[in-house]
Amino acid sequence: MRGATAMIVAAGVVALGLVPVLAPPFYANLLIPFFGYAIALLGFNLLFGYTGLLSFGHAMFLGLGAYGAAVMAGENGIKSFEVVLLGVALAGALVALPIGLLCVRFIGIFFGMLTLAFGMLTHAILFKFYHLTGGDSGMRVPRMNILGLEFQAYNKIELLAGPFYYYCLGLLVLCGLVMWRIVHSPFGLHLRALSNNAQKAEYLGVRVYQFRLAAFVISAIYGAIGGAILGFRIGLADPEIVHWTHSGHLVFMTVLGGFSSFLGPIAGALALTLLQDQLQSITPYWRFILGAVLAAVVIFLPRGLAGIAGTGAALAKRRAAA
Amino acid sequence: MLSVKNLVVDIDGSPILRHISLEVAAGELVCLVGRNGAGKSTTFRTIMGQRRPVSGSITLEGRDLTQLYPFAIARLGVGFAPEESEVFGDLSVADNILLPTWTRQTSRSVDEREALAYRVFPRLERYRTRGGQQLSGGERKMVSIARALALDPKLLLLDEPTEGLSPAIVPSIVEGIASILQLGHAVLIAESNMHHVPDFADRLYVIERGEMVYAGKPNAVPKSLSAPNGPDGE
Repeated sequence: MRGATAMIVAAGVVALGLVPVLAPPFYANLLIPFFGYAIALLGFNLLFGYTGLLSFGHAMFLGLGAYGAAVMAGENGIKSFEVVLLGVALAGALVALPIGLLCVRFIGIFFGMLTLAFGMLTHAILFKFYHLTGGDSGMRVPRMNILGLEFQAYNKIELLAGPFYYYCLGLLVLCGLVMWRIVHSPFGLHLRALSNNAQKAEYLGVRVYQFRLAAFVISAIYGAIGGAILGFRIGLADPEIVHWTHSGHLVFMTVLGGFSSFLGPIAGALALTLLQDQLQSITPYWRFILGAVLAAVVIFLPRGLAGIAGTGAALAKRRAAA
Repeated sequence: MLSVKNLVVDIDGSPILRHISLEVAAGELVCLVGRNGAGKSTTFRTIMGQRRPVSGSITLEGRDLTQLYPFAIARLGVGFAPEESEVFGDLSVADNILLPTWTRQTSRSVDEREALAYRVFPRLERYRTRGGQQLSGGERKMVSIARALALDPKLLLLDEPTEGLSPAIVPSIVEGIASILQLGHAVLIAESNMHHVPDFADRLYVIERGEMVYAGKPNAVPKSLSAPNGPDGE
């Protein structure tokens, strides 16, 4: 990892690590969805930022993670969150494979529309098959053990704001390191090349279709892990998690943070989580303001929040050199 | 090595190539000359598997290429630097050249193949860390050829390698092609101007409106085909 990026990551991890110590439990609890989204967006951005495929149905994989946790822990009594994570990751890969086989044959708006269709189909299944999925009531996601520990002395809020918070932070760091290795490996270089110009990449021997499929499956695994965290936090998996507006939420976070940067989507997830919380406490018209923010970002900050940081760092470097 | 026989290619029902035949032997430099629209690029793209021929055969060392995808043809050892020579803009020059060393395994090591690419175009050494979008037209052309060379191909297809370049940069490209030949690679070049054909070419084909009108030694081309304004003599 490059020096500046490593320092930003270390500072970010320390700052996040201090939240449960310095801030009221409300804030630690508030940041749990951030961890879930940040992990999901690491995968989402492998597909969008690095491979050039913008999915409008990616929330289906978050839903898969949440419903997978509900089925494994609620229906089958599996109490280990690690086993549930492995299970939903595997399920994410297995579901993404056939969907990806069809979707990655297309690019641009056609890929986006196909993924949107699969997302809406998943929503309809979860909503209509009441006897299997609980319909609009959803499925309960019970409390699980983490690292084999039950934390019986903690109530749910204490668990979320303490041990589970640090567990999610550790998971984000681990998933981030794995993704860093992926995007900086020959595999990542192939993805960037085919995103630039798929035809030219193919002339150099790159198996464009297989690489796109692999990126799609990896992004689904990350989405399912993020979804399991979201399900654990609210204790429920309901159809809204796979609704197309939730997929739009993922796109919003990624654009806000900056999809051309590795850390951008994570910054976007954090910014939107905090912004949404603040706006909801101020005005019932918070969606209006979020829409205006998105429009402003697209027009004035096409590289997102990470772009501001990048420009600042470049200016500082230039001044130091002068 | 490369054998194209009676190749017929239609695009949207219009005949573009009509019974084209050409041969490239190991270590040879062969030029395909024709005006814009004559069918040079279509010939190259069909060899690379981007277009399916209506009839005819394309074989590389006896192996049929007509049913293969472009990536499979590249992995068999056909490098292609297209006319537009777009480099991957988001990747550095070093990454552009490194990429094909992972897609095809040959007896040469990755380091050796990278070193050869830079030896052919020494100027690229200075731009290793530069992004693809920060290069001039001539530099992009060099990266495009060096990148195809890093595949360590048996045969290199260069589509108009000097087209649109400043006369000052053309000698660097021609020297690069001469170095590639010395490394033992066969090279097939498409050129729209007869006068840009390198002196050291072994064989020359002239294509007009999708048909081959000359095949032979470069110094034996009829005057009607070698006029300054192109093989048509217009």
